[in-house]
Amino acid sequence: MKTKPLEVLRSLEHRLSRSRRWLFVAAITLCLIPSNTRADGIGDILSLFHTITSTLQGPIGDVLSEMRKVSTAVNNFRQQVIWPLALINQTRAFVSATRARYTGLMSQIEGIKNNSATLALPVQLESAFRSAQTGSMGQLPSIYTQVYQPVVLSGSAQPMQRNLMDIDDAMSMDSLKIAMVSDQTTQSMLTLADSLEQQAMTAAPGSASMVTAQARVADLETQAQLAKMLAAQLREEAAKLAHENALLKQRSVATQNLQNQIQQVLAHP
Amino acid sequence: MKLPMLSRLWKVLRNAVAVVCGLAIVIALLPSKARSQLGLDPCCAMMQVGLNTISGLLRNSVAMPLGSIQQSQQQSANFEQQVVFPMAAINQARNMAVQFEGQFVQMRQLFQLPISSATLPTPQLLEQSLLSGNPGAMPQITSNYSNLYGTVMPAANAPQPVRNMVDMTDAEAQAAMKKAVEIDALANLELQAAEQINQQLQTAAPGTSTILEAETAAWLVRANAYTQSAMAELVRVRSIELANSSGQLKFSASHAATLQSTGNQILQQGVQ
Repeated sequence: MKTKPLEVLRSLEHRLSRSRRWLFVAAITLCLIPSNTRADGIGDILSLFHTITSTLQGPIGDVLSEMRKVSTAVNNFRQQVIWPLALINQTRAFVSATRARYTGLMSQIEGIKNNSATLALPVQLESAFRSAQTGSMGQLPSIYTQVYQPVVLSGSAQPMQRNLMDIDDAMSMDSLKIAMVSDQTTQSMLTLADSLEQQAMTAAPGSASMVTAQARVADLETQAQLAKMLAAQLREEAAKLAHENALLKQRSVATQNLQNQIQQVLAHP
Repeated sequence: MKLPMLSRLWKVLRNAVAVVCGLAIVIALLPSKARSQLGLDPCCAMMQVGLNTISGLLRNSVAMPLGSIQQSQQQSANFEQQVVFPMAAINQARNMAVQFEGQFVQMRQLFQLPISSATLPTPQLLEQSLLSGNPGAMPQITSNYSNLYGTVMPAANAPQPVRNMVDMTDAEAQAAMKKAVEIDALANLELQAAEQINQQLQTAAPGTSTILEAETAAWLVRANAYTQSAMAELVRVRSIELANSSGQLKFSASHAATLQSTGNQILQQGVQ
């Protein structure tokens, strides 16, 4: 009877010693578990939300707001300063008004006839070379010859003199013909200028550069034609100079011949 | 017998108290409530509030400015497409270039019409080379010029100053004729270039037309320079002409003085 409680106690002690080991393990586990896990999780979420909202409000929101301001400012600048619609329309109206103001006057001036000849043949010649119609260019030599006479026959003048007459006539007629061509192309150029002005009346700021480029090309054409006229003038002036020089040569030879003849006469009285 | 028993009993009690204390501490430290994912947990409510705040911020701080920017850009695009660069105006400008091409070709053909008028063989040759517009024909100008206008007279036929003046005049006249041929040739090239640039303009965009404008401007500068050189040649011709007039006046004065002197000598001899 006495040994039974003892066995019970021993068994209990044994069990408690096993529990002590468990207690030790549990204590170590508790030491390893972070004591404030739950609190830290909620804090992190709140911190994350705070970071996101502050990022949205700060860097992103501010930048987008600035971008909106810049975009609006650029838009306003374009519409109110660079290309204000009212000013565009005003400029178009100005072009239209300028055209209306000057076109009539210029047409009247262009239409003034400068013909001044009074006799029949000169009148014909003048109207021919002022016609600005290259189609009538073929009539020019015959009318010119009627007014200025043809080159004299070979028996009536020395060959050099006949050549001089012929080249002078040729240079003169060539220049008159070139002037006819020039007059006709001038009319075409004035038509082109009118087209350009009409285009400018309806052009947009973006298409105006194309019209300007077109005008530049037409300007180049005009310059080329002007150069051709200048070349004609050069030929004419050169021919005139050469003519005078040729006469000087002839006079020199004639003077020398005369001197020789006088000396011969004086030598044989 | 009693003492060991009491000692063992004390140990048992002590361990039991330690276990109970340990359990109490563990229970005190463990989370008091279990969390469910679908329940109305305060944490979920906080997340909901946070997400709502973010959504509101996205709507107000991000979406609204972005919408405003989009609206502004759309307005800008419409303005540029309808006011600054309307397609109709661009096509109209291109069509004008097409119309101009015909005019340019017609004008070029007008300047190519035959205008020669000389009738005698020697003048015809000179005229032909003068109107050729061919710089390769320069040597022919010299020979054709000499055939028509003659060369400088021999030394026996004229005093040296007169021969010098004649030679200078011939030189300038020939130079002017050659310059005229050069200018004609250059003008033909300019007309060709103008037509080519015009063809480019028919397909140009507003952004590229400024490049073509610059190219044409360069050609214009060149054309002006050539015109200027032709003007210089013209000035030289006129200068030589003026110099000839002056030279002839000087020769006349010299001849008159010589004649007067010779006449005086003859008259004095007659008196004696």
